[in-house]
Amino acid sequence: MLEKLKEIILNYVEVEPEAVTPEARFMEDLGFTSFDFMSMLGEIEDTFDVMIDQQETADIRTVQEAVDYLEKLTA
Amino acid sequence: MVCNTIRDILLQTEAKFGDKDAVRYKVGKDSIESKTYSQLRQDSEHFSGALKEMGMQGKHVAVIGATSYEWILTYLGIVNCGSVAVPLDVALPPQEICELLNRADVSVLVYDEIRADVAAMAKEACPNLVKIISMQKKETEGNVLSLHKLLAESENGFDEWANPEELCTIMFTSGTTGKSKGVMLTQRNLAENATCLDMKIPSRTVILSVLPIHHAYCLSMDILKGLSLGSIICINDSPMRMAKNIHLFGPDMILMVPMMIETFAKKLEDAAALPPEMVKKQVFGDRLHTICSGGAYLNPAWITLFEKYGITILQGYGMTECAPVISTNLDWNKKLGSVGRLMPNCTAKVVDEELWVKGSSVMQGYYKMPEETKETLTEDGWLRTGDLGYVDEDNFIFLTGRKKNLIITSNGENVSPEEIENALSENRLVQEVLVRETGGVIEAEVFPDMEYAKNHGITDVKAGLKSIVDSYNKDAVAYKKVAALKVRDTEFEKTAARKIKRF
Repeated sequence: MLEKLKEIILNYVEVEPEAVTPEARFMEDLGFTSFDFMSMLGEIEDTFDVMIDQQETADIRTVQEAVDYLEKLTA
Repeated sequence: MVCNTIRDILLQTEAKFGDKDAVRYKVGKDSIESKTYSQLRQDSEHFSGALKEMGMQGKHVAVIGATSYEWILTYLGIVNCGSVAVPLDVALPPQEICELLNRADVSVLVYDEIRADVAAMAKEACPNLVKIISMQKKETEGNVLSLHKLLAESENGFDEWANPEELCTIMFTSGTTGKSKGVMLTQRNLAENATCLDMKIPSRTVILSVLPIHHAYCLSMDILKGLSLGSIICINDSPMRMAKNIHLFGPDMILMVPMMIETFAKKLEDAAALPPEMVKKQVFGDRLHTICSGGAYLNPAWITLFEKYGITILQGYGMTECAPVISTNLDWNKKLGSVGRLMPNCTAKVVDEELWVKGSSVMQGYYKMPEETKETLTEDGWLRTGDLGYVDEDNFIFLTGRKKNLIITSNGENVSPEEIENALSENRLVQEVLVRETGGVIEAEVFPDMEYAKNHGITDVKAGLKSIVDSYNKDAVAYKKVAALKVRDTEFEKTAARKIKRF
Protein backbone atom coordinates (compact mmCIF):
# COMPACT_ATOMS: atom_id res chain seq x y z
CA MET A 1 0.00 0.00 0.00
CA LEU A 2 2.79 2.40 0.96
CA GLU A 3 4.61 1.80 -2.33
CA LYS A 4 1.49 2.39 -4.42
CA LEU A 5 0.69 5.54 -2.48
CA LYS A 6 4.28 6.71 -2.87
CA GLU A 7 3.92 6.46 -6.65
CA ILE A 8 0.78 8.60 -6.55
CA ILE A 9 2.35 11.16 -4.19
CA LEU A 10 5.28 11.62 -6.57
CA ASN A 11 2.84 12.68 -9.31
CA TYR A 12 1.95 15.75 -7.25
CA VAL A 13 5.17 17.02 -5.70
CA GLU A 14 8.74 17.26 -6.82
CA VAL A 15 10.61 15.52 -4.01
CA GLU A 16 13.14 12.71 -3.93
CA PRO A 17 11.39 9.32 -3.52
CA GLU A 18 13.36 8.81 -0.29
CA ALA A 19 11.62 11.85 1.18
CA VAL A 20 8.28 10.03 1.09
CA THR A 21 8.64 8.27 4.42
CA PRO A 22 5.73 7.11 6.59
CA GLU A 23 6.39 10.02 8.97
CA ALA A 24 6.52 12.67 6.24
CA ARG A 25 3.79 15.29 6.54
CA PHE A 26 2.01 16.13 3.29
CA MET A 27 2.00 19.90 3.60
CA GLU A 28 4.93 20.71 5.83
CA ASP A 29 7.48 18.14 4.60
CA LEU A 30 6.39 17.22 1.07
CA GLY A 31 5.12 20.65 -0.02
CA PHE A 32 1.54 19.68 -0.87
CA THR A 33 -1.00 22.47 -1.25
CA SER A 34 -4.49 21.72 0.02
CA PHE A 35 -5.68 21.43 -3.59
CA ASP A 36 -2.83 19.01 -4.49
CA PHE A 37 -3.95 16.89 -1.55
CA MET A 38 -7.60 16.93 -2.66
CA SER A 39 -6.66 16.04 -6.22
CA MET A 40 -4.54 13.17 -4.94
CA LEU A 41 -7.50 11.80 -2.97
CA GLY A 42 -9.47 11.78 -6.23
CA GLU A 43 -6.72 9.77 -7.91
CA ILE A 44 -6.65 7.39 -4.93
CA GLU A 45 -10.40 6.82 -5.32
CA ASP A 46 -9.81 5.71 -8.92
CA THR A 47 -6.69 3.66 -8.26
CA PHE A 48 -8.09 1.74 -5.29
CA ASP A 49 -11.73 1.83 -6.42
CA VAL A 50 -12.98 3.29 -3.14
CA MET A 51 -15.26 6.19 -2.17
CA ILE A 52 -13.60 8.69 0.13
CA ASP A 53 -15.58 10.85 2.52
CA GLN A 54 -13.78 14.19 2.43
CA GLN A 55 -14.66 14.96 6.04
CA GLU A 56 -12.94 11.79 7.21
CA THR A 57 -9.69 12.90 5.62
CA ALA A 58 -9.48 16.19 7.50
CA ASP A 59 -7.15 14.75 10.16
CA ILE A 60 -4.73 13.03 7.77
CA ARG A 61 -1.40 14.79 7.99
CA THR A 62 1.26 12.12 7.42
CA VAL A 63 1.82 9.44 4.80
CA GLN A 64 1.34 6.73 7.43
CA GLU A 65 -2.03 8.18 8.44
CA ALA A 66 -3.08 8.06 4.77
CA VAL A 67 -1.94 4.43 4.53
CA ASP A 68 -3.88 3.54 7.70
CA TYR A 69 -7.00 5.25 6.36
CA LEU A 70 -6.72 3.46 3.02
CA GLU A 71 -6.18 0.09 4.64
CA LYS A 72 -9.33 0.62 6.66
CA LEU A 73 -11.25 1.55 3.49
CA THR A 74 -10.06 -1.44 1.49
CA ALA A 75 -10.36 -3.95 4.33
CA MET B 1 -28.55 42.70 -21.00
CA VAL B 2 -27.74 44.77 -17.92
CA CYS B 3 -29.99 43.79 -15.02
CA ASN B 4 -30.36 45.64 -11.75
CA THR B 5 -32.07 42.89 -9.76
CA ILE B 6 -31.31 39.21 -9.46
CA ARG B 7 -34.91 38.30 -10.26
CA ASP B 8 -34.55 40.19 -13.53
CA ILE B 9 -31.57 37.96 -14.44
CA LEU B 10 -33.53 34.79 -13.74
CA LEU B 11 -36.72 35.84 -15.50
CA GLN B 12 -35.01 37.16 -18.62
CA THR B 13 -33.07 33.94 -19.03
CA GLU B 14 -36.08 31.77 -18.32
CA ALA B 15 -37.96 33.57 -21.07
CA LYS B 16 -35.31 32.37 -23.53
CA PHE B 17 -34.28 28.98 -22.18
CA GLY B 18 -37.12 27.91 -19.84
CA ASP B 19 -37.12 24.22 -20.79
CA LYS B 20 -33.34 23.96 -21.07
CA ASP B 21 -30.98 22.76 -18.33
CA ALA B 22 -29.83 25.40 -15.86
CA VAL B 23 -28.08 23.18 -13.29
CA ARG B 24 -26.56 19.72 -13.63
CA TYR B 25 -25.30 17.71 -10.68
CA LYS B 26 -24.08 14.25 -9.82
CA VAL B 27 -26.21 11.62 -8.17
CA GLY B 28 -24.26 8.63 -6.88
CA LYS B 29 -20.93 7.84 -8.48
CA ASP B 30 -21.41 9.12 -12.01
CA SER B 31 -25.06 9.66 -12.93
CA ILE B 32 -26.13 13.19 -13.80
CA GLU B 33 -29.44 14.83 -13.01
CA SER B 34 -30.51 18.29 -14.07
CA LYS B 35 -33.01 21.08 -13.44
CA THR B 36 -34.29 23.46 -16.07
CA TYR B 37 -34.49 27.24 -15.87
CA SER B 38 -38.25 27.00 -15.37
CA GLN B 39 -37.86 24.52 -12.52
CA LEU B 40 -35.26 26.74 -10.88
CA ARG B 41 -37.47 29.83 -11.21
CA GLN B 42 -40.49 27.95 -9.88
CA ASP B 43 -38.65 26.30 -6.95
CA SER B 44 -37.02 29.58 -5.93
CA GLU B 45 -40.38 31.36 -6.10
CA HIS B 46 -41.92 28.67 -3.94
CA PHE B 47 -39.18 29.27 -1.39
CA SER B 48 -39.84 33.02 -1.57
CA GLY B 49 -43.52 32.24 -1.00
CA ALA B 50 -42.69 29.96 1.93
CA LEU B 51 -40.60 32.68 3.59
CA LYS B 52 -43.47 35.13 3.13
CA GLU B 53 -46.01 32.69 4.55
CA MET B 54 -43.76 32.17 7.61
CA GLY B 55 -43.59 35.93 8.12
CA MET B 56 -39.87 35.92 7.28
CA GLN B 57 -39.96 38.15 4.21
CA GLY B 58 -37.34 40.89 4.60
CA LYS B 59 -35.51 39.02 7.37
CA HIS B 60 -31.93 37.79 7.31
CA VAL B 61 -31.65 34.18 6.14
CA ALA B 62 -28.35 32.27 6.41
CA VAL B 63 -27.50 29.46 4.03
CA ILE B 64 -24.73 26.98 4.71
CA GLY B 65 -23.67 24.00 2.65
CA ALA B 66 -21.59 22.82 -0.26
CA THR B 67 -22.69 23.90 -3.75
CA SER B 68 -25.95 22.16 -4.62
CA TYR B 69 -29.17 22.78 -6.51
CA GLU B 70 -30.85 23.32 -3.13
CA TRP B 71 -28.28 25.96 -2.17
CA ILE B 72 -28.84 27.88 -5.40
CA LEU B 73 -32.65 27.80 -5.25
CA THR B 74 -32.52 28.81 -1.57
CA TYR B 75 -30.28 31.77 -2.32
CA LEU B 76 -32.49 32.93 -5.20
CA GLY B 77 -35.64 32.42 -3.12
CA ILE B 78 -34.20 34.57 -0.34
CA VAL B 79 -32.96 37.52 -2.38
CA ASN B 80 -35.86 37.54 -4.85
CA CYS B 81 -38.40 38.16 -2.10
CA GLY B 82 -36.54 41.09 -0.58
CA SER B 83 -34.94 39.10 2.21
CA VAL B 84 -31.22 39.23 2.95
CA ALA B 85 -29.10 36.15 2.26
CA VAL B 86 -26.14 35.43 4.52
CA PRO B 87 -24.00 32.75 2.80
CA LEU B 88 -21.63 31.09 5.26
CA ASP B 89 -18.42 29.10 4.89
CA VAL B 90 -19.30 25.41 5.13
CA ALA B 91 -15.86 24.64 6.61
CA LEU B 92 -16.02 26.90 9.67
CA PRO B 93 -16.24 25.44 13.19
CA PRO B 94 -19.80 25.52 14.60
CA GLN B 95 -18.98 28.10 17.29
CA GLU B 96 -17.72 30.56 14.69
CA ILE B 97 -20.79 30.02 12.55
CA CYS B 98 -23.10 30.65 15.49
CA GLU B 99 -21.21 33.85 16.27
CA LEU B 100 -21.73 35.00 12.66
CA LEU B 101 -25.43 34.06 12.80
CA ASN B 102 -25.79 36.28 15.85
CA ARG B 103 -23.73 39.13 14.45
CA ALA B 104 -25.72 39.12 11.20
CA ASP B 105 -29.09 39.08 13.04
CA VAL B 106 -30.12 35.92 11.25
CA SER B 107 -33.74 34.79 11.76
CA VAL B 108 -33.75 31.72 9.50
CA LEU B 109 -31.02 29.12 8.95
CA VAL B 110 -31.10 26.87 5.89
CA TYR B 111 -28.47 24.14 6.22
CA ASP B 112 -27.06 21.15 4.39
CA GLU B 113 -27.15 18.00 6.56
CA ILE B 114 -23.34 17.82 6.34
CA ARG B 115 -23.54 20.67 8.88
CA ALA B 116 -26.21 19.20 11.12
CA ASP B 117 -23.82 20.08 14.00
CA VAL B 118 -24.38 23.77 13.25
CA ALA B 119 -28.17 23.40 13.34
CA ALA B 120 -27.94 21.55 16.66
CA MET B 121 -25.67 24.17 18.24
CA ALA B 122 -27.55 27.16 16.78
CA LYS B 123 -30.80 26.11 18.51
CA GLU B 124 -29.13 26.95 21.83
CA ALA B 125 -26.53 29.52 20.86
CA CYS B 126 -28.58 31.77 18.56
CA PRO B 127 -31.56 33.23 20.42
CA ASN B 128 -32.72 35.31 17.42
CA LEU B 129 -33.08 32.26 15.20
CA VAL B 130 -36.79 31.63 14.55
CA LYS B 131 -36.73 28.90 11.88
CA ILE B 132 -34.28 26.14 10.97
CA ILE B 133 -34.66 24.43 7.59
CA SER B 134 -32.86 21.30 6.38
CA MET B 135 -32.01 21.02 2.70
CA GLN B 136 -32.32 17.22 2.72
CA LYS B 137 -34.90 16.13 5.31
CA LYS B 138 -38.10 14.87 3.70
CA GLU B 139 -40.31 15.63 6.69
CA THR B 140 -40.36 18.11 9.56
CA GLU B 141 -38.44 16.70 12.54
CA GLY B 142 -39.03 18.44 15.85
CA ASN B 143 -38.53 22.10 15.11
CA VAL B 144 -36.43 21.49 11.98
CA LEU B 145 -38.40 22.11 8.79
CA SER B 146 -37.91 20.33 5.48
CA LEU B 147 -36.99 22.51 2.49
CA HIS B 148 -38.54 20.03 0.07
CA LYS B 149 -41.78 19.97 2.04
CA LEU B 150 -41.90 23.76 2.20
CA LEU B 151 -41.51 23.94 -1.59
CA ALA B 152 -44.23 21.36 -2.14
CA GLU B 153 -46.63 23.04 0.28
CA SER B 154 -46.03 26.62 -0.84
CA GLU B 155 -49.12 26.95 -2.99
CA ASN B 156 -48.65 30.50 -4.07
CA GLY B 157 -46.01 31.58 -6.47
CA PHE B 158 -44.26 34.83 -5.88
CA ASP B 159 -44.64 37.88 -8.06
CA GLU B 160 -43.03 40.83 -6.32
CA TRP B 161 -39.94 42.76 -7.30
CA ALA B 162 -37.17 43.70 -4.93
CA ASN B 163 -35.86 47.25 -4.97
CA PRO B 164 -32.46 47.43 -6.75
CA GLU B 165 -31.05 49.59 -3.96
CA GLU B 166 -32.09 47.19 -1.21
CA LEU B 167 -29.59 45.14 0.76
CA CYS B 168 -29.81 41.56 -0.48
CA THR B 169 -26.66 39.74 0.65
CA ILE B 170 -24.23 39.93 3.56
CA MET B 171 -20.97 38.13 2.80
CA PHE B 172 -18.39 37.64 5.51
CA THR B 173 -14.79 38.38 4.72
CA SER B 174 -11.75 38.29 6.98
CA GLY B 175 -10.53 41.57 8.35
CA THR B 176 -7.17 42.80 9.56
CA THR B 177 -8.54 43.19 13.06
CA GLY B 178 -9.04 39.45 13.19
CA LYS B 179 -12.82 39.85 13.24
CA SER B 180 -14.55 38.99 9.99
CA LYS B 181 -16.63 41.74 8.42
CA GLY B 182 -20.08 41.41 6.84
CA VAL B 183 -19.96 43.05 3.42
CA MET B 184 -23.39 44.50 2.59
CA LEU B 185 -24.30 44.13 -1.09
CA THR B 186 -27.46 45.37 -2.77
CA GLN B 187 -29.44 43.86 -5.63
CA ARG B 188 -27.85 46.36 -8.00
CA ASN B 189 -24.31 45.69 -6.69
CA LEU B 190 -24.55 42.00 -7.55
CA ALA B 191 -26.83 42.06 -10.59
CA GLU B 192 -24.89 44.76 -12.43
CA ASN B 193 -21.54 43.20 -11.59
CA ALA B 194 -22.71 39.96 -13.15
CA THR B 195 -24.29 41.49 -16.24
CA CYS B 196 -22.61 44.79 -17.15
CA LEU B 197 -19.74 43.30 -19.15
CA ASP B 198 -20.38 41.45 -22.39
CA MET B 199 -17.63 38.83 -22.35
CA LYS B 200 -18.98 37.40 -25.64
CA ILE B 201 -19.53 34.04 -23.96
CA PRO B 202 -22.12 32.11 -26.01
CA SER B 203 -25.35 31.13 -24.28
CA ARG B 204 -25.57 27.46 -23.31
CA THR B 205 -21.88 27.47 -22.40
CA VAL B 206 -21.17 24.60 -20.02
CA ILE B 207 -19.58 25.87 -16.80
CA LEU B 208 -18.14 23.60 -14.11
CA SER B 209 -18.48 25.31 -10.72
CA VAL B 210 -15.57 24.25 -8.51
CA LEU B 211 -15.09 27.13 -6.04
CA PRO B 212 -16.76 27.50 -2.62
CA ILE B 213 -20.18 29.03 -3.28
CA HIS B 214 -20.12 31.33 -0.23
CA HIS B 215 -17.34 33.31 -1.92
CA ALA B 216 -18.40 36.34 -3.92
CA TYR B 217 -16.31 35.25 -6.92
CA CYS B 218 -18.16 31.94 -7.28
CA LEU B 219 -21.59 33.29 -6.43
CA SER B 220 -21.33 36.22 -8.79
CA MET B 221 -19.40 34.75 -11.71
CA ASP B 222 -20.34 31.05 -11.74
CA ILE B 223 -23.91 31.38 -10.59
CA LEU B 224 -25.30 34.86 -11.35
CA LYS B 225 -23.29 35.45 -14.52
CA GLY B 226 -23.85 31.83 -15.55
CA LEU B 227 -27.61 32.28 -15.12
CA SER B 228 -27.58 35.57 -17.03
CA LEU B 229 -25.92 33.85 -20.00
CA GLY B 230 -28.31 30.91 -20.04
CA SER B 231 -25.37 28.64 -19.22
CA ILE B 232 -25.48 25.08 -17.98
CA ILE B 233 -23.98 25.25 -14.50
CA CYS B 234 -22.50 21.90 -13.51
CA ILE B 235 -21.72 21.26 -9.87
CA ASN B 236 -18.39 19.76 -8.88
CA ASP B 237 -19.30 17.60 -5.88
CA SER B 238 -15.82 17.75 -4.34
CA PRO B 239 -12.42 19.29 -5.05
CA MET B 240 -11.21 15.69 -4.86
CA ARG B 241 -13.13 14.77 -7.97
CA MET B 242 -12.48 17.79 -10.15
CA ALA B 243 -10.31 15.91 -12.67
CA LYS B 244 -12.97 13.20 -12.98
CA ASN B 245 -15.84 15.67 -13.16
CA ILE B 246 -14.18 17.57 -16.00
CA HIS B 247 -14.54 14.40 -18.07
CA LEU B 248 -18.03 13.66 -16.77
CA PHE B 249 -19.57 17.10 -17.44
CA GLY B 250 -17.38 18.25 -20.35
CA PRO B 251 -17.23 21.96 -19.44
CA ASP B 252 -16.28 24.75 -21.85
CA MET B 253 -15.24 27.05 -19.06
CA ILE B 254 -14.13 26.85 -15.41
CA LEU B 255 -13.50 29.57 -12.85
CA MET B 256 -10.45 28.73 -10.77
CA VAL B 257 -8.14 30.17 -8.19
CA PRO B 258 -4.37 30.12 -8.88
CA MET B 259 -3.69 27.16 -6.59
CA MET B 260 -5.85 24.95 -8.84
CA ILE B 261 -4.20 26.26 -11.98
CA GLU B 262 -0.79 25.46 -10.50
CA THR B 263 -1.78 21.85 -9.83
CA PHE B 264 -2.87 21.45 -13.45
CA ALA B 265 0.27 23.26 -14.63
CA LYS B 266 2.44 20.70 -12.86
CA LYS B 267 0.63 17.91 -14.72
CA LEU B 268 1.15 19.70 -18.02
CA GLU B 269 4.85 20.18 -17.30
CA ASP B 270 5.24 16.50 -16.45
CA ALA B 271 3.70 15.62 -19.81
CA ALA B 272 5.69 18.18 -21.81
CA ALA B 273 7.19 15.51 -24.08
CA LEU B 274 3.79 14.22 -25.24
CA PRO B 275 1.68 15.74 -28.06
CA PRO B 276 -0.31 18.73 -26.69
CA GLU B 277 -3.63 17.59 -28.24
CA MET B 278 -3.40 14.25 -26.45
CA VAL B 279 -2.44 15.82 -23.12
CA LYS B 280 -5.21 18.39 -23.39
CA LYS B 281 -7.81 15.72 -24.01
CA GLN B 282 -6.58 13.63 -21.13
CA VAL B 283 -6.33 16.46 -18.60
CA PHE B 284 -9.12 18.83 -19.65
CA GLY B 285 -11.45 16.78 -21.83
CA ASP B 286 -12.60 17.67 -25.33
CA ARG B 287 -14.29 21.00 -24.78
CA LEU B 288 -12.53 23.14 -22.18
CA HIS B 289 -11.20 26.32 -23.73
CA THR B 290 -11.35 29.04 -21.06
CA ILE B 291 -10.27 29.33 -17.44
CA CYS B 292 -11.08 32.51 -15.53
CA SER B 293 -8.66 33.13 -12.68
CA GLY B 294 -9.21 35.34 -9.67
CA GLY B 295 -8.82 35.51 -5.92
CA ALA B 296 -5.04 35.70 -5.78
CA TYR B 297 -1.90 36.46 -7.78
CA LEU B 298 -1.38 34.20 -10.79
CA ASN B 299 2.06 33.48 -12.16
CA PRO B 300 1.93 34.81 -15.77
CA ALA B 301 4.04 31.81 -16.88
CA TRP B 302 0.98 29.59 -16.47
CA ILE B 303 -0.99 31.73 -18.94
CA THR B 304 1.67 31.09 -21.58
CA LEU B 305 1.93 27.40 -20.71
CA PHE B 306 -1.83 26.82 -20.98
CA GLU B 307 -1.96 28.61 -24.34
CA LYS B 308 0.13 25.77 -25.77
CA TYR B 309 -2.75 23.45 -24.94
CA GLY B 310 -5.39 25.69 -26.49
CA ILE B 311 -6.65 27.01 -23.16
CA THR B 312 -7.02 30.71 -22.50
CA ILE B 313 -6.60 31.89 -18.92
CA LEU B 314 -8.36 35.18 -18.26
CA GLN B 315 -6.91 36.82 -15.19
CA GLY B 316 -9.25 39.11 -13.28
CA TYR B 317 -9.24 41.12 -10.09
CA GLY B 318 -11.83 41.95 -7.50
CA MET B 319 -12.87 41.95 -3.89
CA THR B 320 -16.06 41.05 -2.06
CA GLU B 321 -16.57 44.76 -1.29
CA CYS B 322 -17.02 45.31 -5.03
CA ALA B 323 -19.46 42.43 -5.63
CA PRO B 324 -16.68 41.33 -6.56
CA VAL B 325 -15.20 41.92 -10.05
CA ILE B 326 -13.26 45.16 -10.58
CA SER B 327 -11.38 44.24 -13.75
CA THR B 328 -10.82 41.34 -16.09
CA ASN B 329 -8.79 40.42 -19.10
CA LEU B 330 -10.76 39.30 -22.13
CA ASP B 331 -9.72 36.99 -24.92
CA TRP B 332 -9.66 39.87 -27.40
CA ASN B 333 -8.60 42.57 -24.97
CA LYS B 334 -5.85 41.54 -22.58
CA LYS B 335 -2.42 42.52 -21.37
CA LEU B 336 0.07 40.12 -19.85
CA GLY B 337 0.98 41.16 -16.32
CA SER B 338 -2.24 43.12 -15.90
CA VAL B 339 -5.24 41.99 -13.86
CA GLY B 340 -7.44 43.26 -16.66
CA ARG B 341 -9.46 46.17 -17.87
CA LEU B 342 -11.84 47.99 -15.54
CA MET B 343 -15.44 46.83 -15.63
CA PRO B 344 -17.77 49.22 -17.48
CA ASN B 345 -19.61 50.05 -14.23
CA CYS B 346 -16.41 51.00 -12.44
CA THR B 347 -14.00 53.94 -12.36
CA ALA B 348 -10.64 53.98 -10.65
CA LYS B 349 -8.00 56.37 -9.41
CA VAL B 350 -4.75 56.09 -7.51
CA VAL B 351 -4.33 57.92 -4.22
CA ASP B 352 -0.94 57.68 -2.48
CA GLU B 353 -0.18 54.62 -4.64
CA GLU B 354 -3.36 52.89 -3.41
CA LEU B 355 -6.02 51.94 -5.91
CA TRP B 356 -9.47 53.42 -5.25
CA VAL B 357 -12.59 52.36 -7.17
CA LYS B 358 -16.11 53.68 -7.49
CA GLY B 359 -19.22 52.42 -9.25
CA SER B 360 -22.50 50.56 -9.03
CA SER B 361 -20.90 47.44 -7.54
CA VAL B 362 -19.33 49.12 -4.53
CA MET B 363 -20.85 47.82 -1.27
CA GLN B 364 -23.04 49.75 1.11
CA GLY B 365 -20.58 49.15 3.95
CA TYR B 366 -19.79 46.57 6.62
CA TYR B 367 -22.75 45.33 8.61
CA LYS B 368 -22.87 47.08 11.99
CA MET B 369 -19.25 48.20 11.69
CA PRO B 370 -19.38 51.97 11.10
CA GLU B 371 -15.71 52.53 11.97
CA GLU B 372 -14.44 49.90 9.56
CA THR B 373 -16.86 51.19 6.90
CA LYS B 374 -15.50 54.70 7.31
CA GLU B 375 -11.94 53.42 6.95
CA THR B 376 -12.80 51.67 3.69
CA LEU B 377 -15.41 53.89 2.01
CA THR B 378 -15.00 57.63 1.49
CA GLU B 379 -18.01 59.93 1.95
CA ASP B 380 -18.30 60.36 -1.81
CA GLY B 381 -18.39 56.63 -2.49
CA TRP B 382 -14.78 55.66 -3.28
CA LEU B 383 -13.67 52.24 -2.10
CA ARG B 384 -10.10 52.07 -0.83
CA THR B 385 -9.00 48.67 -2.11
CA GLY B 386 -5.90 48.35 0.07
CA ASP B 387 -4.00 47.30 -3.05
CA LEU B 388 -1.10 49.23 -4.49
CA GLY B 389 -1.07 49.66 -8.23
CA TYR B 390 -1.80 51.83 -11.22
CA VAL B 391 -4.20 52.14 -14.14
CA ASP B 392 -2.78 52.57 -17.64
CA GLU B 393 -4.13 54.73 -20.48
CA ASP B 394 -6.37 51.86 -21.69
CA ASN B 395 -7.94 51.39 -18.25
CA PHE B 396 -5.96 48.22 -17.54
CA ILE B 397 -5.04 47.69 -13.89
CA PHE B 398 -1.58 46.64 -12.77
CA LEU B 399 -1.09 45.65 -9.13
CA THR B 400 2.23 46.11 -7.41
CA GLY B 401 1.56 45.00 -3.85
CA ARG B 402 -0.82 44.62 -0.97
CA LYS B 403 -1.28 47.46 1.41
CA LYS B 404 -3.05 45.64 4.12
CA ASN B 405 -1.54 42.89 6.21
CA LEU B 406 -4.21 40.43 5.18
CA ILE B 407 -2.77 37.25 3.79
CA ILE B 408 -4.47 36.08 0.62
CA THR B 409 -3.49 32.44 0.28
CA SER B 410 -2.87 31.07 -3.19
CA ASN B 411 -6.33 29.47 -3.23
CA GLY B 412 -7.95 32.81 -2.55
CA GLU B 413 -8.80 32.40 1.11
CA ASN B 414 -8.31 35.43 3.32
CA VAL B 415 -6.35 34.89 6.48
CA SER B 416 -5.93 37.50 9.12
CA PRO B 417 -2.41 37.11 10.57
CA GLU B 418 -3.46 38.82 13.79
CA GLU B 419 -6.05 36.14 14.41
CA ILE B 420 -3.39 33.40 14.33
CA GLU B 421 -0.89 35.50 16.25
CA ASN B 422 -3.45 36.02 18.98
CA ALA B 423 -4.16 32.30 19.22
CA LEU B 424 -0.47 31.34 19.42
CA SER B 425 0.29 34.10 21.92
CA GLU B 426 -2.12 32.56 24.39
CA ASN B 427 0.74 30.26 25.38
CA ARG B 428 3.31 31.92 27.64
CA LEU B 429 6.24 30.34 25.86
CA VAL B 430 5.42 32.63 22.91
CA GLN B 431 6.70 36.08 23.79
CA GLU B 432 6.31 37.63 20.35
CA VAL B 433 4.98 36.22 17.13
CA LEU B 434 4.55 37.37 13.57
CA VAL B 435 2.51 35.43 11.02
CA ARG B 436 3.07 35.89 7.32
CA GLU B 437 2.89 34.07 4.02
CA THR B 438 6.23 32.68 2.86
CA GLY B 439 6.68 30.53 -0.23
CA GLY B 440 2.96 29.92 -0.51
CA VAL B 441 2.46 28.70 3.05
CA ILE B 442 1.60 30.36 6.34
CA GLU B 443 4.66 30.80 8.50
CA ALA B 444 4.84 31.83 12.14
CA GLU B 445 8.03 33.43 13.38
CA VAL B 446 8.31 33.26 17.15
CA PHE B 447 10.54 34.92 19.69
CA PRO B 448 10.23 32.60 22.68
CA ASP B 449 10.17 33.63 26.32
CA MET B 450 13.40 31.93 27.41
CA GLU B 451 12.89 32.82 31.05
CA TYR B 452 9.52 31.11 31.06
CA ALA B 453 11.12 28.07 29.43
CA LYS B 454 13.85 27.97 32.10
CA ASN B 455 11.39 28.33 34.96
CA HIS B 456 9.20 25.58 33.62
CA GLY B 457 11.95 23.10 32.76
CA ILE B 458 11.42 23.36 29.02
CA THR B 459 14.79 22.35 27.62
CA ASP B 460 13.83 21.88 23.97
CA VAL B 461 12.20 25.24 23.19
CA LYS B 462 11.74 24.52 19.50
CA ALA B 463 9.86 21.30 20.29
CA GLY B 464 7.74 23.21 22.80
CA LEU B 465 6.84 25.82 20.20
CA LYS B 466 6.14 23.14 17.62
CA SER B 467 3.67 21.48 19.93
CA ILE B 468 1.92 24.85 20.45
CA VAL B 469 1.62 25.23 16.68
CA ASP B 470 0.43 21.62 16.31
CA SER B 471 -2.20 22.16 18.95
CA TYR B 472 -3.42 25.34 17.20
CA ASN B 473 -3.43 23.52 13.83
CA LYS B 474 -5.56 20.71 15.22
CA ASP B 475 -8.63 22.94 15.43
CA ALA B 476 -7.84 25.43 12.67
CA VAL B 477 -9.57 25.45 9.26
CA ALA B 478 -7.22 23.99 6.62
CA TYR B 479 -6.31 27.32 5.07
CA LYS B 480 -5.48 28.87 8.44
CA LYS B 481 -3.07 26.15 9.48
CA VAL B 482 0.51 27.19 10.17
CA ALA B 483 2.82 25.13 7.96
CA ALA B 484 6.20 26.58 8.87
CA LEU B 485 7.74 27.64 12.16
CA LYS B 486 10.75 29.90 12.51
CA VAL B 487 12.32 30.57 15.88
CA ARG B 488 14.33 33.74 16.42
CA ASP B 489 16.71 34.59 19.23
CA THR B 490 16.22 38.36 19.24
CA GLU B 491 13.16 40.53 19.70
CA PHE B 492 11.35 41.85 16.64
CA GLU B 493 12.06 45.38 15.56
CA LYS B 494 9.34 47.70 16.93
CA THR B 495 7.61 50.86 15.80
CA ALA B 496 7.48 53.97 17.98
CA ALA B 497 4.23 52.65 19.41
CA ARG B 498 6.04 49.42 20.38
CA LYS B 499 4.21 47.44 17.77
CA ILE B 500 6.11 44.82 15.82
CA LYS B 501 7.15 46.12 12.41
CA ARG B 502 5.50 43.80 9.96
CA PHE B 503 7.69 44.32 6.94
